[in-house]
Amino acid sequence: MVNGIVATDLKEALIVRAQGNYTPYGGGTDLMIKSDRNARYLFLHKVPEMKRIVEDDRYIRIGSSCTFTEVLQNPRIPQLLKEAVSQIAAPAIRNLGTIGGNIGNGSAKADSALIFFVSDSLLRLASVRGERVLPIKDFYLGRKKLALSEDELIVEVLMPKKGLDNYYYKKIGARDALAISRVSFAALLEISEGIIRNCATAFGAVTEVVFRRPDFDALLIGKTLEEAKHQKDSYLAAYEKALVPIQGRISAEYRKVVCMNLLKDFLEKNGI
Amino acid sequence: MRDTGISFILNGEKVTYEGKANDRLLDVLREHFHLTGVKCGCKEGECGSCSVLLDGQLANSCMVAMGRVQDSEVTTIEGYSKTERFKVLDRAYAAVSAVQCGYCIPGMVLASECILSANPHPTEEEIRIGISGNLCRCTGYNAIVKAIKIASEEGNGLW
Repeated sequence: MVNGIVATDLKEALIVRAQGNYTPYGGGTDLMIKSDRNARYLFLHKVPEMKRIVEDDRYIRIGSSCTFTEVLQNPRIPQLLKEAVSQIAAPAIRNLGTIGGNIGNGSAKADSALIFFVSDSLLRLASVRGERVLPIKDFYLGRKKLALSEDELIVEVLMPKKGLDNYYYKKIGARDALAISRVSFAALLEISEGIIRNCATAFGAVTEVVFRRPDFDALLIGKTLEEAKHQKDSYLAAYEKALVPIQGRISAEYRKVVCMNLLKDFLEKNGI
Repeated sequence: MRDTGISFILNGEKVTYEGKANDRLLDVLREHFHLTGVKCGCKEGECGSCSVLLDGQLANSCMVAMGRVQDSEVTTIEGYSKTERFKVLDRAYAAVSAVQCGYCIPGMVLASECILSANPHPTEEEIRIGISGNLCRCTGYNAIVKAIKIASEEGNGLW
């Protein structure tokens, strides 16, 4: 095969990746838009280690070559991720596009990446030198800038299993199908015995990387709903001050208003 | 890793493509295999007019590199139109005048096949989701949705 190699196991994929002149090819749905005539692709759809969805006692482990359709069809996948993935593009693209490609593309508009941010998921990266596990927030360094070495591949996403049931998710786009997010928001709130045990919020498509501030969410954690109501103003004020959306095809002002509305709606829906 | 061609099944026949792995399936189907039922609308996955079946699943051929196709099965409208299922869809589309200019129709028909093979009796909502990646500038979609509904009723046992 000229200009491409179809890897059939992880070891082979990593050896080819280490040669340095092949671009990892997940589903192709981003890569092929700006396809370069001289591109050389490392095809990853036949690497069994990257096609699995399994779970251990703490994580659901999603192989990076799993397509969005495979994620939607798998009973192990939490509803929050399914909801976000079901709104990505349209069936034909969901049949091709992969979780690893969505993350590896380095965009803050990646709808599955937002869910991995809000759930504090980890990424397992591998190279011929060995492997490492990295929180997703440490993987994104800036727009299209990733903490991925030239010889590394994203092998799987480790998504925590607990605390995902009470979620809030909204994607704002120009239409239903095939829309790129203009603003997306995901949040988790875990309450037991009247106490907020966890609160996690994340905004996609508004800043260079997904906006996630656990230090703000900490204002609500450990509080009762009543106490959280008293913290609400300072919580919203912290976001109001820190969230500075980028100006793109749509205005920064519009994005900001939508973000704050979504945040307030999430709190109100949960009685805060 | 010898430089051999890319072999795959195209409309039921084994073929080998001797070009590059980064070539676009859409271009190869049209220009090399002369299957011009596969239309090029946008080349960025927005319109669905280049839809084919890749291992039975709907795929935009503009977003598929040839290396991805190795050992897979590709069906275009030319191959699909020889099936009994096509005849049912063909009659249903004609019955409600669901075809106007026709440019989107090869993709629409293959999307219809995927809707019905996943669920022989889809709801209107499921039909609309199934064709949500296929743009049509003429019909306003209602006639197409109706045609798929008719095919699901008349294609008893075929899907």
